[in-house]
Amino acid sequence: MFLTKMPLNPRRRAARKLLGSPQALHAAVQAGFADPSPTEEGRVLWRLDTYGQHRVLLYTASPEKPDFTHIVEQVGWPTTEAWQTREYDGLLESLRPGQHWQFRLTANPVHSARREDWSDTKPLAHVTVKQQEQWLLDRIPRLGFQLVTTGSDGEAAPDLAVVERNNRRFNRRGSDPVTIATATFEGQLEVTEPAALRHALTFGIGRAKAYGCGMLTLAPPPRKGSA
Amino acid sequence: MTVVALRLAGPLQAWGSRSRFVRRETEKAPTKSGVIGMVAAAKGLRRTDSLGELPDLRFGVRIDQPGQLLRDFQTAQRPKKEKDGTTSWSSLPLSQRYYVSDAVFLAVLEGERGLVEGIDEAVRGPEFPLYLGRRSCPPAGPVALGVYDRGLEEALASLPWVASTRSQRRHRANTVRLATVRDAHPDEAEGELVQDIPVSFDPNRRQHAWRTITRGTVEIDNPHGTAEKGEEHDPMASLGG
Repeated sequence: MFLTKMPLNPRRRAARKLLGSPQALHAAVQAGFADPSPTEEGRVLWRLDTYGQHRVLLYTASPEKPDFTHIVEQVGWPTTEAWQTREYDGLLESLRPGQHWQFRLTANPVHSARREDWSDTKPLAHVTVKQQEQWLLDRIPRLGFQLVTTGSDGEAAPDLAVVERNNRRFNRRGSDPVTIATATFEGQLEVTEPAALRHALTFGIGRAKAYGCGMLTLAPPPRKGSA
Repeated sequence: MTVVALRLAGPLQAWGSRSRFVRRETEKAPTKSGVIGMVAAAKGLRRTDSLGELPDLRFGVRIDQPGQLLRDFQTAQRPKKEKDGTTSWSSLPLSQRYYVSDAVFLAVLEGERGLVEGIDEAVRGPEFPLYLGRRSCPPAGPVALGVYDRGLEEALASLPWVASTRSQRRHRANTVRLATVRDAHPDEAEGELVQDIPVSFDPNRRQHAWRTITRGTVEIDNPHGTAEKGEEHDPMASLGG
């Protein structure tokens, strides 16, 4: 597996289309691979991290090395900054129970429900922060990690925060507009089952994985005392 | 240097500097003549009285909450009793009145300590009712913010943000950039001229002199800012190489 980081330039004209529609960005990411289909190792996952008006980062995890020349030419800095690709396997192999990591995840929290007049259940988005947090808490046991609790005994709470929420609505050729509700989670986790976590990192979590949801990434935990 | 700070907030405000006939305009920030007039009313001066030293005070405002421009198309009719006892109505000139709605301004007057303290006291217990530029625009909440031992520019740059809590929350960022409009120094070359120094409020002979203003911005802390300078999550950091 490979992890790729690419800064995007939102001031370029093509950014309007690419950043405005997860469908367009999905197509652009897929076009970066000769064969984007999932392998035994994992699948193509991507995520857009926005840290300000002019700081937008595209992360992808993929079984093959990507070639994002077309994206750089349209919405990057072709002559100064391209993309960085690193081997992901080293990290995936080094996961051990008890390790602490910072994580970030953009997901599409849904539950299946039936409304009046519906003959069948359909996935409906969780709406509130609380529902979205609960959605993640419910599936954490299956993902091979647990949340680190912070704070003193009296107010100990799992280190989990929804840092961004969005409702994306975009067109998809040949179908009605697609609407997905996304939530970006950040927090600190402790590895319990490395194999399950590896699966979550390479195959993603939840729905709408083609549309920038479900990609979990790990970063070194904050140094003691600074947090 | 001593300044007195005033908080000008209300559902409607109107600060005209060039209104003519039926088109009653408003500036986006309080005018010197409007604020001096309000202070004169608070002190109990009549319209025909001399304004004394008030027009010589240095004046500056900060736009803490810009509000929105509102136009009122105003019609009015005058009743006339006919000889047979009926009433007929004749239309008065139609007028367009402009207001800024839901705005909050910080106005600062700089001058001698005694004079400035007198203004603060008068505004706290006004002789005639206070209004924000037009008689129909009463202030919301106390106007007086107190007297400070600072210069005009320093006061505009250092006094806390007086916008409503709701709009402070909506701003999220931890600092805000606010526009200011103040009297220019005599040695400042650049400036904009407005006819806005009150000479006389006498209804029969209103007079305003020209005033040079300078526009700028100041950066003020937002007590309700919720933006955290979040550190970027960098998954590449754990991959080495």
